Amino acid sequence: MILYLATLVLLVLLAPLLLGFIKALKMRLLFKRPLPIWQSYYDFAKLLHKETILSVESSAVTRIGPMLVLAPLIVALLVLPPAMKGAFYIGFVDAFTLTGLLALSTFFLMLIGLDSASAFGGMGASREAFISALVEPAMVLTVFSVSMMAGSLGVGEAGVRLAEHFPTTHMASFVFAAIAFFILLIAENGRIPVDNPETHLELTMVHEAMILDLTGFHLALIESAASLKFVIFASLFASLFMPFGLGLAAPLALLVFVGKLFLIATAVALVEVNTAKLRLFKVPNLLGIAIVFAFLSLITFYVLGA
Amino acid sequence: MFHLDALSLIFLFLILLGVIPNLFYSQGYLPHIERKAHYLVHYFAFILSMLGVVTAANAMVFLFFWEVMSLTSWQLILTEPKEKGTIEAARFYFFMTHFGFVFLLLFFLIATRGDLQMSFEQMHGVVAHFAYPTLLFFFLALGLLSKAGAVPLHVWLPYAHPAAPSPVSALMSGVMLKVAIYGMFRFLFDVLYPWPLEWGVLILVIGALSSLVGVLYALSEHDIKALLANHSIENIGIILIGFGMGMIFDSLGLGVLSSFAFLAAFFHTFNHMSFKSLLFMGAGSVLHETHTKNIEKYGGLAKAMPITALTFLLASISISALPPTNGFLSEWMIFQSLLGSSQIADMSLKLAIPFAIFALALTGGLAIACFVKAYGITFLGLHRSANAKHAREVNALMRFGMLAMAGVVLSLMLFAPWYLRLFDQTMVALGHAGVYAKLFPEGVWSLHSVAVHGGVVSPLLLLGALLGVTALIYYASQALDIKTRLHRTWACGYRTGPRTQYSATGFAGPIRRFFDWLYRPEEHLHKETLAGHRTKFKSSGYEVHVKPLFERSLYEGSVKTVNWVSYWVYRLAHFEQTRYAAMIFNLMLLVLFSYRIFAHQFSWATFALESVVMLISFKVLIIGEKR
Repeated sequence: MILYLATLVLLVLLAPLLLGFIKALKMRLLFKRPLPIWQSYYDFAKLLHKETILSVESSAVTRIGPMLVLAPLIVALLVLPPAMKGAFYIGFVDAFTLTGLLALSTFFLMLIGLDSASAFGGMGASREAFISALVEPAMVLTVFSVSMMAGSLGVGEAGVRLAEHFPTTHMASFVFAAIAFFILLIAENGRIPVDNPETHLELTMVHEAMILDLTGFHLALIESAASLKFVIFASLFASLFMPFGLGLAAPLALLVFVGKLFLIATAVALVEVNTAKLRLFKVPNLLGIAIVFAFLSLITFYVLGA
Repeated sequence: MFHLDALSLIFLFLILLGVIPNLFYSQGYLPHIERKAHYLVHYFAFILSMLGVVTAANAMVFLFFWEVMSLTSWQLILTEPKEKGTIEAARFYFFMTHFGFVFLLLFFLIATRGDLQMSFEQMHGVVAHFAYPTLLFFFLALGLLSKAGAVPLHVWLPYAHPAAPSPVSALMSGVMLKVAIYGMFRFLFDVLYPWPLEWGVLILVIGALSSLVGVLYALSEHDIKALLANHSIENIGIILIGFGMGMIFDSLGLGVLSSFAFLAAFFHTFNHMSFKSLLFMGAGSVLHETHTKNIEKYGGLAKAMPITALTFLLASISISALPPTNGFLSEWMIFQSLLGSSQIADMSLKLAIPFAIFALALTGGLAIACFVKAYGITFLGLHRSANAKHAREVNALMRFGMLAMAGVVLSLMLFAPWYLRLFDQTMVALGHAGVYAKLFPEGVWSLHSVAVHGGVVSPLLLLGALLGVTALIYYASQALDIKTRLHRTWACGYRTGPRTQYSATGFAGPIRRFFDWLYRPEEHLHKETLAGHRTKFKSSGYEVHVKPLFERSLYEGSVKTVNWVSYWVYRLAHFEQTRYAAMIFNLMLLVLFSYRIFAHQFSWATFALESVVMLISFKVLIIGEKR
């Protein structure tokens, strides 16, 4: 239980750092002077002290919505697979429920976008709806395939079982599923090439457009939701597709786990630096690749058993 | 005449759950209706006929009440005959429902050997000796699925449901479609059992197609009630996916998985009844206040109509299958039964079922998009028309009806184990495996899947966790003592107004563009430019209309074919006498040649030769020269 709580606290504290790290790394790679990687913490503290401006046009959805965006992600964080052997994990939530929780959070985010009567909000919500509708099938198929290899659909259970019996006989389908999941990680977190989190240009905005009219505390909630979402995806990737090093002594295992998270963050930063943002109508092609890989993973598992 | 076994009782319960809140709502809606007596007579007759259908003990009674149900709902669609499109919708509905009736009648006439008073158990004996059970299955499927609104017999739904008054739309969509599902359960279990594998596959394919087609056309719809009607097609599709999986598992001898899938279908039937009735009631309240069905004329109604907005939100979350609602639970169960396909030995089937998973998951994603649109454009932002500006909350009876239906939705969420036990007992009564003990091995808190490597979900714990975390954040915000200020939304320096917002057309834009190959929309763009400027204009408008593919290809296509054939028959009747003689000559040639082919030996060489002779004489003698 101690280990579980420690992991939880660590993940929450680490969440802004990871996004800050990606930003700093990207700037360094682009020969800019990097921001301090603590910047996200400064922003969070600043937002908490600021006055919250509510739009006259908005309804109760804007007042309650940010909490409902964050709450499902916190619940999702509670049910992640353990970072080390023997740690407590919650077994009564499976991967479909986790997908559903993420979708619930996105649902309220889209409603917030439409609530402020601004063209930007609607545009962001519309684009997000489009992208997340296409993410859904890829996600479910990947989950299905991983559950086959792990021998369980439960999130925590799958992580533990993969760590105990790494599916060496199913390497091909395992790798295909990993590729599909990595694309989903990029798409769901709104990173380049799907969305650029750093611009405020109406041609490219998705996530930023929806939250354009939020300020202060509400913005802090949404920003922490975004960083938590990245941590959830990164630690899912770490637990499901890099299931090693869990058996080490507790502090060391945790260190290895954090190392994995930073590795994923580095990979995301490298992808961001090396690709251009896709046009919105090219995004389905990328998600199509994820869907095809998820199918491939299932088919290789069934037909070849590899 | 009547009987009350487990299956009848469960659907009786479903109808009552759907009807009782509707009675209040309907009472509140009554001042809005001009022909009150006409409406009330048919409304109650409609309810009674549905009760009659599910309790009927023989084919005669079943068909009688089925027909009364069709006729009363047809008259209810005609409650407001002066509205544009109502008469056409009613006529279409009348035609489609009788199209289905003919096939049901054929099914019964064969399955009872003409004695329509026969009980369903005796019919099973007759069918067991009938040589072509698949023919009966097709009759049954055509008869019932044309009522349920599954692809390709769904085209009437988006016309008929919006034309009816809202309480009736809620009943038709929420309850009447389920009566057709009752028919599926009743006749497939009692009469046509056991099923070959292909039937289940067919139902699964129809379900997957219906769910996708329904949600895609719902997205392109601007009429809120037509949008909801399209979602009924989607949800019937989801129910049929569960049903089809149950049939497939049963014919493969996987009894437990089969019962699980049927339970999922039952559960989704109940869930769809609850949230679709609620959604239609909400749409009816909005329509009552704004006097328009066009979603582009709404906006900002959440402030004026808080109760409608809240109940509509609950139903939207539930129909989008988001946890921890009841809609999520049943869709979760259907996903789990699809995952159970990994136990199937037949490789081709095993590889095909992930496509159904894909369809269901895409449907889920698109349903979320669609309900963000429906809720966001209707209730959020600024009013888009004067009608929406002057909307007020509806009267107490209608509010009570909506709250009662919201209570049904919540009860399905909170007491899911209890409902599932009812369904399980029904399955046992139908002679199938009971799975309740496997679903809840550790008490009612967590629902387990029966599939190997299946998952677990605990809706109540999730609900508790979500509420707890939200409350914590709320108290944190109180403790931080946040200062708030109201201000206009920034609109790039212009005033924020109704026209600065996104429209429903715009919201669905990316998805419409991506599925352009399916929609093939008609776009109308008009611009009045100012004195020849290309970029400056006084007014501009963009409209897009999507005509469903099935209507365009299947229905209008068959109309065209019939016209074409009748044109040629007409031409034939007005030929000159020489041509008649030529035709008789050709026919004789055809008879002689085919006699030789069928009665003697067949060889490709002579067949080709004779075909050429036939073609030449046809061309020369009948068609003649082109003038």
